Amino acid sequence: MPEFDLIGFLVQWLTVFGLYSILAITLNLEAGFAGLTNFGKVVFYGIGAYVGATLTTYLTLYLNNVDPFECPPYSIDGIVKLIELGGKSPSLSIGLLALSLLAAFIAAGSVGFLLTYPILRVGPAFVGFTLLSFGELMRIFLRHYEPVGGSKGLAAIPRPFGWVGDPRLSSFIFLLLVLGLVALTYIAMNKLTNSPMGRMLRAVRDDEIAALCLGKHVPGIKALTLFIGSGFSGMAGALMAYYFTSVNPDMFVPAVTFNVWAMVILGGMGNFTGSIIGVALFTLMDRLLAFITPALGVAVISPDYIRWMFVGLLIVVVLLFMPKGLLAERPLKTPALDEARKLLVEGGGGA
Amino acid sequence: MPNILEARDLAKYFGGVRALDGVTISVPERSIVGLIGPNGSGKTTLFNVVTGFYEPTRGEVLLKNNSGSMERIDGLNPNEVFLKGVVRTFQVPRLFTSLTVLENVLVTPPVQIGEKVLDAPFKSRWEKQERELAKKAVGLLKKFGMEKYVYSRITELSVAHIKLLETIRGLMTSAKLYLLDEPAAGVDYGVARELFNYIRGLREEGLTFLIVEHRLDVLMDYVDYVYVLHNGKLLSEGKPSEVVNDPKVIEAYIGG
Repeated sequence: MPEFDLIGFLVQWLTVFGLYSILAITLNLEAGFAGLTNFGKVVFYGIGAYVGATLTTYLTLYLNNVDPFECPPYSIDGIVKLIELGGKSPSLSIGLLALSLLAAFIAAGSVGFLLTYPILRVGPAFVGFTLLSFGELMRIFLRHYEPVGGSKGLAAIPRPFGWVGDPRLSSFIFLLLVLGLVALTYIAMNKLTNSPMGRMLRAVRDDEIAALCLGKHVPGIKALTLFIGSGFSGMAGALMAYYFTSVNPDMFVPAVTFNVWAMVILGGMGNFTGSIIGVALFTLMDRLLAFITPALGVAVISPDYIRWMFVGLLIVVVLLFMPKGLLAERPLKTPALDEARKLLVEGGGGA
Repeated sequence: MPNILEARDLAKYFGGVRALDGVTISVPERSIVGLIGPNGSGKTTLFNVVTGFYEPTRGEVLLKNNSGSMERIDGLNPNEVFLKGVVRTFQVPRLFTSLTVLENVLVTPPVQIGEKVLDAPFKSRWEKQERELAKKAVGLLKKFGMEKYVYSRITELSVAHIKLLETIRGLMTSAKLYLLDEPAAGVDYGVARELFNYIRGLREEGLTFLIVEHRLDVLMDYVDYVYVLHNGKLLSEGKPSEVVNDPKVIEAYIGG
């Protein structure tokens, strides 16, 4: 039996936790706040991952004087060259990382923005199915699109902190980056929604028609929400490409989306802290099961299925006792509350 | 007084159903105009056409704009009609059920700095406006005796309060014209009169109201002019006292 590597386990778990947290928080903005049934979360994650992977591999080759069109990154030669050249220069690595994150945000955000057009006139269920189908379309397209490696995808993506030397240290620095982005997402979403804008999003979710009648530009609000949510998901995708150092189309199956939905539902719709707890529980369970199941000697059922059974059971049990998830939605905190309290206390005796 | 709203030969057909069939009405500025008629006579359809939910099959809707001329508003989207200065309420109230009473009222004001995505994360940019709006909102809620419910969720309110709140929500903007769809339905007589007294006060301040109402006992004491719809057509119009004594109206209401 191999020795249990606690630090390694924690770094691995927290990185996955971080990536999923970004997806869950932004899904909560879209679905929990604005009522957008985004069953295509994986689309934006995938776009970010492919944008990051493609930019990094092609540019690494190009900037090292290898013609990426002669020796493409998905060919054997390309992969050999990438392993040889990648992650040597700190400035190049960091530059590519920054560029990838930015490009992933813009690309995924723009696709999210544009995808609101076909869903404007339909109800929540159709919004879900349209986005779900788009995800499958994207996956099939990627499988057959040679410049990003077709069904094999792209591999040997240079790690952004590979130049540090010690692989454990570089994973740790990468973890800090991921957690930094989680913190940024969490704070940004909380600031964004504890405001008149959050109130407007919830109003649109509760009753689109009433919001429209009160002058709110509902299509624009939805497009903007998907832009923001998708943009952040795109960044998570780019980080994911660096973390696994490879991307392939079959990483972006609808199950990813439903995993994120399960986390958000478990944590509580409309509550970002709940989402983080949901992600922590799920990813921890996932990692632990991956460790434990082989030890249990259950060979008949694949650990994958055991995981799914657990996920289902967990959701059913939690929702039975806590229908709103672990943390319920709270009224928004804006200065209006404080102002109202003052007025009501002063004028307590009535007019 | 010049008209603020005019509907000319307005028609809306749903297949073979003529929900509105050539209705011409005008609403003078600073007036309270009633719109009555039996169920299914086309009152709500008229509201829906005026507020941009339906495009009329025929005819036009004109609204007085800020420069004083009449401007066509049929064919605009509901949110655009609102921004032109027309607020409506619904027969079956459409409140934001997961928001508190205060939050519901605060959704209404149109130009909120904190609703813009680039300003929302920075509280200092919108805090002042938010506090002013909260002051106005609490003031309105107090005026209608709803100060006890400021932090309540909509699901905790009685039907009467829900009706009332929808009207209050509409009053949070500086719109010119209010279309109220049965504001007094399900509200007790005293509160209904209070509501209409308040509406009359707002009329003095320069606002205009077009009100659909079945509570004729209350409505008739407050309106300046009444239109009666029946089967999508205008059946009668005039001052309240004329209309209630019109035999055609009595027949349409009582049946025959």
